[in-house]
Amino acid sequence: MKRILLVLLLVLLAWAWTERQALSDFPSILSAYSAKEYCSCRFVMGFDEAYCRAYVKQYLPLGRLEEDSRARSVLAEGLGRHSVAVWQGPREGCRLLP
Amino acid sequence: MGKLKVVLGILGLIALPVSAEEWPDSQWQQDPTRYDWQAVDDYAFALRNDVDRSGVRSDALLIIRDGRVLYERYAAPTGVDTPHLTWSISKSVLATLLGVARGEGRFQLDDPAARYYPALREHPQLRLVDLLHWASGLAWQEDYEYAPLKSSVVAMLYTRGRNDMAAYTAGMAQAELPGQHFAYSSGDSNLLAAALRGMLGADQYADYPWQALFTPLGITHAVWERDGVGTYVGSSYLYLSARDLARIGLLMQRDGRWREQQLLPADWVAFNRTLFTHAEPVPGDANPGGHWWLNQPLPGNPPPWPDAPTDTFAALGHWGQALYVLPTQKLVIVRYGDDRDGSYSHNELLKRVLAVLAKAGA
Repeated sequence: MKRILLVLLLVLLAWAWTERQALSDFPSILSAYSAKEYCSCRFVMGFDEAYCRAYVKQYLPLGRLEEDSRARSVLAEGLGRHSVAVWQGPREGCRLLP
Repeated sequence: MGKLKVVLGILGLIALPVSAEEWPDSQWQQDPTRYDWQAVDDYAFALRNDVDRSGVRSDALLIIRDGRVLYERYAAPTGVDTPHLTWSISKSVLATLLGVARGEGRFQLDDPAARYYPALREHPQLRLVDLLHWASGLAWQEDYEYAPLKSSVVAMLYTRGRNDMAAYTAGMAQAELPGQHFAYSSGDSNLLAAALRGMLGADQYADYPWQALFTPLGITHAVWERDGVGTYVGSSYLYLSARDLARIGLLMQRDGRWREQQLLPADWVAFNRTLFTHAEPVPGDANPGGHWWLNQPLPGNPPPWPDAPTDTFAALGHWGQALYVLPTQKLVIVRYGDDRDGSYSHNELLKRVLAVLAKAGA
């Protein structure tokens, strides 16, 4: 039994090693997606806050989703990471900051 | 002389309505024919589920026949002036934009992509035509939110690739030879957006979609977002109102001509509409052409949308975005949606629209 668990653990570790890049990126997806698509929902498509909050909602909850409507910037935080998207202009729409 | 002018003028007045072709100027003309759209409304605008976001959730449906509006309906907050996210419809519009560049002699289909985008120097066999067929052969994983861990497109748009999406794609390994096999990839489209940049002068690129395509078509409110290095997100981030997207559709329906001007070569549109046969049939999924989607069947298979004509072609995007062109019927249909499950069916919508039109006007 112990031996099987050990083998399973090794398999899991090997998988985590091969997927280390994807696993380290994963937590950023939620905040980046939310900040970018919320920014475009509000400042490109011109929808209201309540609609856009529902529009970007995912299964995983966000810690924060805050907009600065004067600067047209959006900060989202989730899974311990945060992302900022900012409206760039009437033709350029929104973009995530690096 | 004066008399002749009058006679010619009268003849012109008589002759004009017969041969006149409808084009939108700042506004679209209305087609006054009345139809009973109940079956279309029942399907496209069924009671909207905003709690678990299931089912068909249309934001806009616009039907143009021979250049005039036959049907138009929106679901709030989307309205007639909303520049709606088109998602992957952007790819086909990018291909249409490339058609203008082709007409200006800026490239040949068989040119190596690396000629215009040097970051592809590790992939010297990759041609522009392969990118247009989504057949780069790069090791790409196109999955959206259902498999975010392994998805190249999620990494490209939101994490590792977001600052320079074409460079991220160019860094992929060559999994198979280019041009051999269709494998849908948003990365391929962004490589095209980067290649277009390389075809133009440094000061031309930012204005090019407007100068070459949107302004001639009378599209005044387009938004096309860019990545961190300023390359258009050709795969995903074009926003247009339904009426403006229909202008792209009418241009394609009329083989690249806008009024008297051949804006893109007719043989470019023919290329967009030519089936790339190195593809696997997927039930219900349209087949790849030159960066547009076709209802033309793959050899030995039924058409993907059995109730629509086989010459139907389309630009399609995530969450149910669609621009359908039915050239024989002279129909252009824009459907925007916010479908979060797979229940919307292209075939069902087209079937119902065609059934309505088949009945005599009520």
